[in-house]
Amino acid sequence: MSSSPLTPPGGAPATPQAHTAAARGRVLPFPITGQEIVLIAVVALLWVVLAVATPAFLTGGSLVPLLVAMAPVALIGIGMTVIIITGGIDVSVASIVLVCAVVVAKAMVNSGVGLVPAVLISVVLGGLLGLINGLLIAYGRVHAIIITFGTANLFKFLGLQLFGGTTVDNIPNTLDVFGRGAAGRTLGIPHSFLIMLVLAALAWYYLRHTAGGRHLYAIGGDADAARLAGVKVQRRVMLAYVLTGLLTGLAACFVIAQGTSTLAPNVGAGMELAAIAAVVIGGTSIMGGRGSVLGTVLGALLVQTVASGVTQLGWRSQLSSLFIGIFILIAVGADLIRQRTRRTA
Amino acid sequence: MSTTVSPSTPAQAPPPEDGPAPQSSRIQQLGAAVLRALLTQRIVLLVVLLVAVIITMMTLSARNYLTAPYDLSYMSATLISAVPLVMLGLAELLVICSGRGGIDLSVGAIVSLTSMIFGFAYGEWAWPLWAAILLAAVFGGLCGAINGFLIAYIGYPALITTLATYYAFSSIAIVINDQQPISSRPIQDFFSAARSVPVGAGGNALQVPLGTLTFLLPTAVVIWLLLNRTTYGRRLYAIGTNDVAAEWSGIDVRRTRCVAYIAAGVISGLVAVVTVAQFASARPDAGVAGNGMALPAITIAVLGGVAITGGIGRVAGVVLATLLIVWLNAGILLAVPGNAGSQFQLFALGIVLIFAALLNGLTQRKYGRTG
Repeated sequence: MSSSPLTPPGGAPATPQAHTAAARGRVLPFPITGQEIVLIAVVALLWVVLAVATPAFLTGGSLVPLLVAMAPVALIGIGMTVIIITGGIDVSVASIVLVCAVVVAKAMVNSGVGLVPAVLISVVLGGLLGLINGLLIAYGRVHAIIITFGTANLFKFLGLQLFGGTTVDNIPNTLDVFGRGAAGRTLGIPHSFLIMLVLAALAWYYLRHTAGGRHLYAIGGDADAARLAGVKVQRRVMLAYVLTGLLTGLAACFVIAQGTSTLAPNVGAGMELAAIAAVVIGGTSIMGGRGSVLGTVLGALLVQTVASGVTQLGWRSQLSSLFIGIFILIAVGADLIRQRTRRTA
Repeated sequence: MSTTVSPSTPAQAPPPEDGPAPQSSRIQQLGAAVLRALLTQRIVLLVVLLVAVIITMMTLSARNYLTAPYDLSYMSATLISAVPLVMLGLAELLVICSGRGGIDLSVGAIVSLTSMIFGFAYGEWAWPLWAAILLAAVFGGLCGAINGFLIAYIGYPALITTLATYYAFSSIAIVINDQQPISSRPIQDFFSAARSVPVGAGGNALQVPLGTLTFLLPTAVVIWLLLNRTTYGRRLYAIGTNDVAAEWSGIDVRRTRCVAYIAAGVISGLVAVVTVAQFASARPDAGVAGNGMALPAITIAVLGGVAITGGIGRVAGVVLATLLIVWLNAGILLAVPGNAGSQFQLFALGIVLIFAALLNGLTQRKYGRTG
């Protein structure tokens, strides 16, 4: 099962037709995995149930906030998917959101920077913080979870220092194109959601159809084997963290746009776990080497559907965590069962 | 590799043998041995760092750079915050040691949920204290058993399982009493369990937080005995080092691993009792507020030399790492007063953790596996 995606073209001399389109197509897994089909079905089922239970659910007033709210988590989830595919993890993203958000918010309040510079600042800053993670993990050769626990503390210190013990007030509406208001929509679809979809599609293509993307899977499958096969493991791993940093920087802009005109020092709290949850529900193996961005987007959609469904049904909002936990267990359990049947078959 | 002397190639000059040592090389050897001990023995490194921190802080204190004196009584008073850290660090020690990516993100959530259960039992149903503490331990163990069952018997990855149960337990903890803390009369009086008691004789008796004597020390001793004086401890290290080999040598890998998670749950249950005493109230977010309790506990364990790949870790390492962080934090609070102080604690924790982790990587390349 694991040998087929890694077989190099022409690696089996007995099959001269290995270069034909049909044979090449067989190398890649089917575009949609079983996990993703199940997820689509579950989300659809939830939407139907919610629509029946509360007629207000399937209206713009309820769906638009849902799509806007899922965008930052899904965006970070894209990067997290790439990292987890390489066999790593990044628990510092919440602190990166904190740093980027406070810098951008201060820049807008104090210097009145415009939309484009604000986004650029945030993305570049996020990328730099991601670079720190990447350098330490790839070249320090320490397990990712330890380094990112450490940098999570460092970045949080940095962010809180920038906050200086108070909130950032009177944030101008520069970033409203990403928000939940009318300025944030085209034809009723929120921009933040659209941007997330485009980036997800790019990442999906990159992971699936380019050599660089396949290298990431190879690293997650067996880093030593990948290195011997000529993959520049350290550079790829580092770039995965830089990518996540860049995406997290953009997500920080979305977070500012969704909030009020006041930014509190607890911004971004819990986003690392939410992103990891979305990735895992989407069927990406935490051991690395297997997973897809499509699943992550669906996972984020499921998480946000549960969260907004619980509120709309008038239940305690904290109950949504319980359901998210249960969904994680079901999703991973289904994946385990499928793996086992594949192995025995 | 190519310089290896082989008998068939006499043409190649053998590497020059070190002659009988002159005085300078003896000193060099000693230096190398000290360096090696510092790098490979995490406990030696921690002791050195700990002494360095204490000397630095006492010097600063003597020259009046600090807002309050940094002396023995201050240091022993700050031990109150070491109680949950050491206990949860030991819980992570057991779990991480069990290998196969073992980790427990849910300990903080178990603390929250068990706090509420303990609050109900002791504060509302008026159970006797011993029964309520027993209930807390058993309930924490049950929560840990859920983790252990899923991870050891079904084969779930530990990180994911405990992430899921983190969500589930913390959610239940908040919903179970409608977001309200329990702070009835008996719970408020239970604050006395967090008081300080004099230790030592006569006039120079030191005020030590009671929790260190009633919870921290017994837990540390029991875990130390468990790991070093029982077959279970040997089995745990065995499955963490190589669970296939352990399986073939007749160890029940699944049960051994499951028990590690149950033990982590029991310890979390006891930590819940400690936190209720500290806050004089059973809070639904006790273990997950702010940074939560799980991430600092994992940090402490890693700093204490527990290998994230399993099979390596010692009780003394966890205890020393906690003392280092607690006393460093206590000093920072005096050196940098106010809000900035707690922020600098984050900075210190992050730097120390990354430093220790990078050092681990370095020593592994230089000396092979370390203890």
